[in-house]
Amino acid sequence: MESKIYERLQETLYYEKMDNGLQVYVLPKPAFKKAYATFATKYGSVDNHFRVEGGEETQVPDGIAHFLEHKMFEEPEGDIFATFASNGASANAFTSFDQTVYLFSATENIETNLSTLVDFVQRPYFTDENVDKEKGIIGQEINMYADNPDWRVYFGLIEALYSKHPVHIDIAGTVESISTITKETLYSCYNAFYHPSNMLLFVVGGVEPERVFSLIRDNQNAKSYGKQGQIERIFEQEPAEVAEKWKECKLAVSMPKCLFGFKEKTSGLTGTDAVRRDLTTKLMLDLLFGSSTELYQKLYNEDLISDSFSHEFNSSPQYAFSAVGGDTKDPGKLIARIKEEVSAILESGFTAKDFERARKKKIGGYLRMLNSPENIAHEFTRYQFRGGDLFEVLPVYESLTLEDVNERLREHIDWEQMSVSLVVSP
Amino acid sequence: MTNNGFQHGSAAGIRIHVLPTKAFKTFAISLYAGVPLDENTVTETATMPFVLRRGTASYPETIQFRERLEELYGAGFGFDIYKRGDYQILQFRMDTINDSFVQSKDSLLAESFAFLGEVLTRPLVEDGHFRTAYVNTERETVRKKLEAIVNDKIRYAAERCIEEMCAGEPYRLHPLGQRKDLDKITPESLYGTYQKWLDNAIFDLYVVGDTTPEEVEKLVAAHFGRGNASTAEYGSRFTPVQVGEVRTVEERLNVNQGKLNMGLRTSITYSDDKYAAALMYNGILGGYPHSKLFVNVREKASLAYYASSRYDGHKGIGTIQSGIETQNYDKAVDIIRKQLDELRNGNITDLEMSQTKAMIRNLLSEIQDSAFEMISFDFNRQLSGKNRTTAELLSQVDGTGVSDVKAAAETFQLDTIYFLTGQKEE
Repeated sequence: MESKIYERLQETLYYEKMDNGLQVYVLPKPAFKKAYATFATKYGSVDNHFRVEGGEETQVPDGIAHFLEHKMFEEPEGDIFATFASNGASANAFTSFDQTVYLFSATENIETNLSTLVDFVQRPYFTDENVDKEKGIIGQEINMYADNPDWRVYFGLIEALYSKHPVHIDIAGTVESISTITKETLYSCYNAFYHPSNMLLFVVGGVEPERVFSLIRDNQNAKSYGKQGQIERIFEQEPAEVAEKWKECKLAVSMPKCLFGFKEKTSGLTGTDAVRRDLTTKLMLDLLFGSSTELYQKLYNEDLISDSFSHEFNSSPQYAFSAVGGDTKDPGKLIARIKEEVSAILESGFTAKDFERARKKKIGGYLRMLNSPENIAHEFTRYQFRGGDLFEVLPVYESLTLEDVNERLREHIDWEQMSVSLVVSP
Repeated sequence: MTNNGFQHGSAAGIRIHVLPTKAFKTFAISLYAGVPLDENTVTETATMPFVLRRGTASYPETIQFRERLEELYGAGFGFDIYKRGDYQILQFRMDTINDSFVQSKDSLLAESFAFLGEVLTRPLVEDGHFRTAYVNTERETVRKKLEAIVNDKIRYAAERCIEEMCAGEPYRLHPLGQRKDLDKITPESLYGTYQKWLDNAIFDLYVVGDTTPEEVEKLVAAHFGRGNASTAEYGSRFTPVQVGEVRTVEERLNVNQGKLNMGLRTSITYSDDKYAAALMYNGILGGYPHSKLFVNVREKASLAYYASSRYDGHKGIGTIQSGIETQNYDKAVDIIRKQLDELRNGNITDLEMSQTKAMIRNLLSEIQDSAFEMISFDFNRQLSGKNRTTAELLSQVDGTGVSDVKAAAETFQLDTIYFLTGQKEE
């Protein structure tokens, strides 16, 4: 067991890598009654084409990572939710572009619940019958999202930005694509991506690190895992330019939804470089589009944006893009005004005073995030899978300069790299 | 007097509740202001905070106002408007970094109180009323929010079900008010409403963090200019409603998925000794993934992705919600009504009892790990007049038997079935 003290955050992190390759992290919070644990595999919706060392190249149906997540909850004895409930744990899971995360929170029987979590994820049980039954449930989940305009405008933007990379494919797939999923395809994905060496367990809350490690060590030693070969993820070459500049989707809404974003041309960033680019870009977007900016207030007073106007930056080693926008009565005019105003800022750059204030805001937001065990676990895992360290964010923020942010501004805001996604009433 | 660790006092006509703790990296501040939910005032009361957040006497321009928050390390600031029983509650929240994590020359807690006190009691007043431009813009903001409810079909269906069920009561009103009243709002009328509200609303101020009741009382006395206003208390506005025939409402919109919502009435409210039994009833019916609704509607019949229930102890209402294929309406209604009958007949297994108790125990135990959750729980006490700690509620839940749940089930009467379905085929 190793430990690392983050003095300024008043936190200590404990770490151990199991013999089978599983990485385990524990962040004790002695004042907390609950424990929150996530068991994550570095496998998400984009990993639909791969080859495991020594194996064959495999292409799998869209939505299978998410389908697999649903099916993991079924055991020969029934639903694993019942086991968690008997031990007072609230369990759940989610699938994103690049990871699948299983989790629980509990205030009692924490060790039993930890064993349940690790065991159910390491014990796949798929039958023709239970795979078929799930298609009805996931079909309804897909329909639910189809009615949600916020989801539609967000996914529309990704579809407009990317033509080849599977990030543009809906995480749940389609009713047609999931209809081709069988227990065999599920097992093939499971065997490729659920090896302990591709997974990370994070436990935060009122727990003793030694006890957690000893429990997981015994648990893992009792299971036999062969050595896992290298996983090769195969991605078709994504062109630098955007797929579509303007994309509309029809759905009844009270006012059009408009999201625009910029696609990064460079990819392949990992570790500290990736963390630095993420933080710089998010700070830059806040200086540009945040609710205290002149631009925001102007557009708000011109009745072109509402409280829903927001911005985000999403990145992985193979793709990175911003997404900015919200409800607007006139998408065309909004985009024209954004181009006009942002072009002026591209000339002038940001001021030192605004930069310092925005950085303070970001530091405050980061520290506030650390109050929540859920956020810590999710963010830590996300950073770790990219080779970064969530608890080293403060020094990165402090090392950023006005020049860094101004440079990022001119690099990211490239009108040729912009797409616009709309949801408008039919 | 203490309850769940809160120490109580008052200043400037505001009841003050402080929980000193070092468990968090922030000071969590919540100010609640409640007024009776009333058709004649609901819209202006809801519009008021939107105007208050635009500018104050010291920070008249919105940009200044928001920059000030960023200087306080991006202090989280926001407000919510909602219904609790037949009261309209306005809640202001601040979440400010504890100074010990950052290098700040001023006390961030003191600065936050100065800010919040100013927002509440020293708004921007020009010519004896709110700034006209702010009132005009924010009236449109509220209008957009009311119009946007229909965009989220899950939420829309839930609101419509309550509106139909409570057609003759103030509770039918949306907490943001009524569109038809917006045009009547003028800068003068809104300022008048604000002054009356400041004099008459029931104020509760909560702080969780590394501070003391003495320090908070001093800060409130210094920064909240409510003069000699006296503290007020919530009274019970609950009147039991007799349920007759079940009402069925069908509404057609262009949707992919049908939304089935049901509303039930119960005589059991938060202050009732049978409250724990009502919580158990809801938990067994549809509060969790092991509950009857999830197991029977989703897992067994594969009809839905979500199927759950909620219980609102301040209004004495239970709700059920599920998203289904429109042609499965009859099947879903049958299955759900069957679950209601099962509970009324006391067909509840020991396992359902013990699992539900464990889940409620977990929910109540983890309240102490979130500052804002602790605040919400204690605020129930101010609302209902019922002094009951989480520990007491826990032991009441533990002591609940099948016959108590059956007795509670007999008080839950199905009142309204609401179905949002697709347009008829042409």
